[in-house]
Amino acid sequence: MKQARFVAMHVREWDSLQAWLGQLDRQPKRSMRQEPALDFPAAYRRVCHHLALAQGRGYSHEVTDRLQRLVQHGHRVLYRPPPPRWHRAAAFLVADFPRLVRSQWRCMALAAALLYVPALALLLWLQVHPELAHTLFSSARLAEFERMYDPANPHLGRSSGTNLQMFGLYVFHNVGIAFRTFASGLLFGVGAIYVLGANGVVLGGIAGHLTAIGYGGPFWRFVVAHSAFELTAMVIAGGAGLQLGLTLLSPGRQRRGPALVAAGWIGAKLALGAFAMLVVAACIEAYWSSLAALPDPLRFGSAALLWRLVLAWLGFGGKVAGHGA
Amino acid sequence: MLDTVREIETPEGVSLRLRAAGPLPRAQAWTIDLVVRLVVLAVAMMPLSLFGIGGRGLAMLLMFALTWAYWVVCELWLDGQSLGKKALGLRVVNADGTPVTWLPSVTRNLLRVVDALPGVYGVGLASTLIDAHARRLGDIVAGTLVVHVKEWAAGQQVPAAPALPLPLPLAAEEQAVLVDYAERAGQLTLSRQEELANLLEPLTGCRDTAAVSRLLGYANGLLGRP
Repeated sequence: MKQARFVAMHVREWDSLQAWLGQLDRQPKRSMRQEPALDFPAAYRRVCHHLALAQGRGYSHEVTDRLQRLVQHGHRVLYRPPPPRWHRAAAFLVADFPRLVRSQWRCMALAAALLYVPALALLLWLQVHPELAHTLFSSARLAEFERMYDPANPHLGRSSGTNLQMFGLYVFHNVGIAFRTFASGLLFGVGAIYVLGANGVVLGGIAGHLTAIGYGGPFWRFVVAHSAFELTAMVIAGGAGLQLGLTLLSPGRQRRGPALVAAGWIGAKLALGAFAMLVVAACIEAYWSSLAALPDPLRFGSAALLWRLVLAWLGFGGKVAGHGA
Repeated sequence: MLDTVREIETPEGVSLRLRAAGPLPRAQAWTIDLVVRLVVLAVAMMPLSLFGIGGRGLAMLLMFALTWAYWVVCELWLDGQSLGKKALGLRVVNADGTPVTWLPSVTRNLLRVVDALPGVYGVGLASTLIDAHARRLGDIVAGTLVVHVKEWAAGQQVPAAPALPLPLPLAAEEQAVLVDYAERAGQLTLSRQEELANLLEPLTGCRDTAAVSRLLGYANGLLGRP
């Protein structure tokens, strides 16, 4: 068939599809209710067929270029992502996220060790050698910590600022650290290891120093509740970074490229879960932990409850009952 | 590396032609995004400062959203284009040419941290220069690609002329070359048209203007025009 005849046969179909696609860009909702929307997948596939025919028969660029553009536009519309479903977010947090964390338990355990071992070691060491605190921190920072957790300070855990301000600060600061910890895992895991270890040293150093100088009361009373979410989220973000770095180093039975893509998506999901946990932690830290008037039994009781809640959620969330063995 | 076109076969059996965007337009788009976000922050700070110290917390939340969420929200709701990318005519797509979905978008924007590392996007620049499709590390791990939106210039119309039959049968490629010549004739100067047509004197049997009009006649005949 000669080109002119081919064009004459199909040009009206191409024109109508092009017109509908153009209208879709301008008024998406209205166009989707019109009749061409029903016919669109079939019309798109017919145009793909026409393009293949035109290329196979060696028609000129006038036709093939036009069909190519039409196909690219149609492809973008046909394969566009589905609209977000918000109940999927809830299902992710309740079930998928804990499952994902458990499936990566080796990296999580390694991350927890990297954070907690230096922290605990320093905490105990500083009880024996309190002067070591001055080699860890500058005296200005030590003075700031001491001011924040001074038993005479009416605010708990902060030297000034309102709840809302501290909430914003905690979200910006902590989530930023968590995301960076995950992302820096791509540098063969070195970034994640460094951030986890350094945070462990700082945490252990502050806790050990304040306990050693007798300011331990306000410190532990402040951190005990929100640390359930905050420290666990840091461990998860670090673990996500570690699994990314380890996949880069040893992709196992896959080629490195696809393995890295899969690990990147797992890591992004873990980072999003850690983000949700850190927002909860920031709420608790800003509005609950800072209440100086809370009686100790309520404070420590609620903290124990939160820790158990987090561990039970991550340990058992999303397990299908009766599916075991 | 010089040819940035990536052909992707679709389930329909035809191939998409995606043109990967290099580091320069992407850096320009990033700069526009940076300016947009700074302006948004500056404008929002005016009412927020009325809230006093609590407003600083809200400003922190806004900064968080502009640092991390801005990219993902733009890419998901604006068809793979942040505002800067829209201005430069770029788009983020999945590796198979489909519009970017939320998980790859989140991944590539979290890993922006690594690409931005030494100074301003040092790792990202090196990666886009090395990779055949100019992907930064975040794109490689997320399985995404940044492409030019603007389409190729469409082929020119073959000027209409009375169709002439070919004096001797030509192979398919030779016919395609003839039609290509006729399509491009409008973009060439008259003397260049004649110069090219004179090469085909054995076919046309004449020179200069007559040869050009003859070739256009053959092309019209090949396209099946009357």
